[in-house]
Amino acid sequence: MRSAENSGRAIGLLLLLLMVLIGPLAQAQPQAQPAATGQNWVDQLSGLQSPPDIDVAALRQEAAARIKTKADAVPLKRPPIAAQLLELPRLVIDIQFDEDTPIVRPDSYGTLGRIADTLSDPSLAGYKFLIVGHTRAGGRRDFNLALSQRRADAVRDILVTTFKISPKRLQAIGLGEEQLLDTAHPNAATNQRIQIATIATAP
Amino acid sequence: MLRRNLLRYQSGFLDGQLGRAATGIGAMQDGFMTSMRGMLLLLLISAGSSALAETMKLEDAAGILGTSCAKDIDASCRGVNLDSIRLKDCLARNEDTMSPQCKADYPRAFNAIQKRVAARAAVRKICDRDLAKICGATQKEDGAALKCILAATRGVTIACNKAIAEAGYR
Repeated sequence: MRSAENSGRAIGLLLLLLMVLIGPLAQAQPQAQPAATGQNWVDQLSGLQSPPDIDVAALRQEAAARIKTKADAVPLKRPPIAAQLLELPRLVIDIQFDEDTPIVRPDSYGTLGRIADTLSDPSLAGYKFLIVGHTRAGGRRDFNLALSQRRADAVRDILVTTFKISPKRLQAIGLGEEQLLDTAHPNAATNQRIQIATIATAP
Repeated sequence: MLRRNLLRYQSGFLDGQLGRAATGIGAMQDGFMTSMRGMLLLLLISAGSSALAETMKLEDAAGILGTSCAKDIDASCRGVNLDSIRLKDCLARNEDTMSPQCKADYPRAFNAIQKRVAARAAVRKICDRDLAKICGATQKEDGAALKCILAATRGVTIACNKAIAEAGYR
C-alpha cells in the first residue's frame, strides 16, 4: 500500500520535474527572435580585416572645405567624401531625431539600447567604432554638416554616459549631405540614418 | 496549482533559501525517495541557475522608457536627450503631471539600465582571480580576457559564472 503511494508520489514528482524543465523553454520561445536579430548586428560589425587608415579630424576638415569652396554643388553627382568607409563592416541604423536638433525621439531609445547591447557583446569587446551622422540633401550644406556632427556626437554621448560604453572606443563624425546613403535619391529620408563602422581591432 | 507551487520553489532557490524549499518538497522517507529528492534538487538548481537573474537587455530597458514616457517626454522634457541623470531629473520634476504608466515605468527603466551596466562592470572584478588562474595574468586587456573566460569550460568559480550570467554574456 505504502509503496503504491510512494510510486504515485514519484510519478507526481517526475511530472513536476518535467514542468520545471519545459516551463522555461516554453517561455523562452518568443524571446528567441530579438536575440537572433541582435546577433545579426554583432555579425555585421565583425570581421574587420585590416584597420583602415581613417583620420577623422582630416575628414572633418575636408568636408568643411568642400562646402566652403562650393565644390560638387549638384547632390546627384557628388562623390562620397570618405569612400573608404564603404569598405568597412558597418551598420546603417534608423534613429529618429527632433527636427533640426540632436535630440533623439523616445521611439528610438530602444534602438540606442540595442546599439549599446551590440557594442558590449563579448565578441566585439575591444573593437573601436566610428559613429557617422548623415542628412538628406536640401537646405544649407553647412547647416546639414553641422547638424549631422551634432547628431553623431549626441549618439556617442548617450552611449558613453547612459550606457557606459568606453569613450575610448567611440569616435563621431558628421558628413552632412557630403556622403549620401542613397545617392540616387538625395532627398530620401533614408539619407538621414546613422552609420556605425568598425574602425579598429582589439589590440 | 502544481505549477504555482513549483514556481514558489524555484523562486525560493533564486533567493538562496535552499533549506525551506527542500523541506517543502515533501516529507519523503525511504531511500528511493531520498535519492529522487537529491536528483530533483540538483535539477531544480540547474534549472534555477540557468534562469538566474539575468539583467534586462539595454534595448528592452530603454525601450520601456521610450514607449511608456514618449508623450510625457514630449510634453515636459522636450530638448532633453536620453540621459540617466538629466532626463531622469526632468521626469522626476514633472511627476505630478505625468501619466500613471510613465510614473510607474521610468524609475524601473533607469534602474534596469543601471543594473545591466553594473553587472557588466562587476564581471571584471568578480572574475579577477579566475582570469589570472585560467587565462594567465598577462591577459589584462578587457576584450581578450572576457573572451578567454567565456570560452573556459571548467574551473570557473560559481561567483564568476553568476556574474557572467547576470551581465547577459551567456
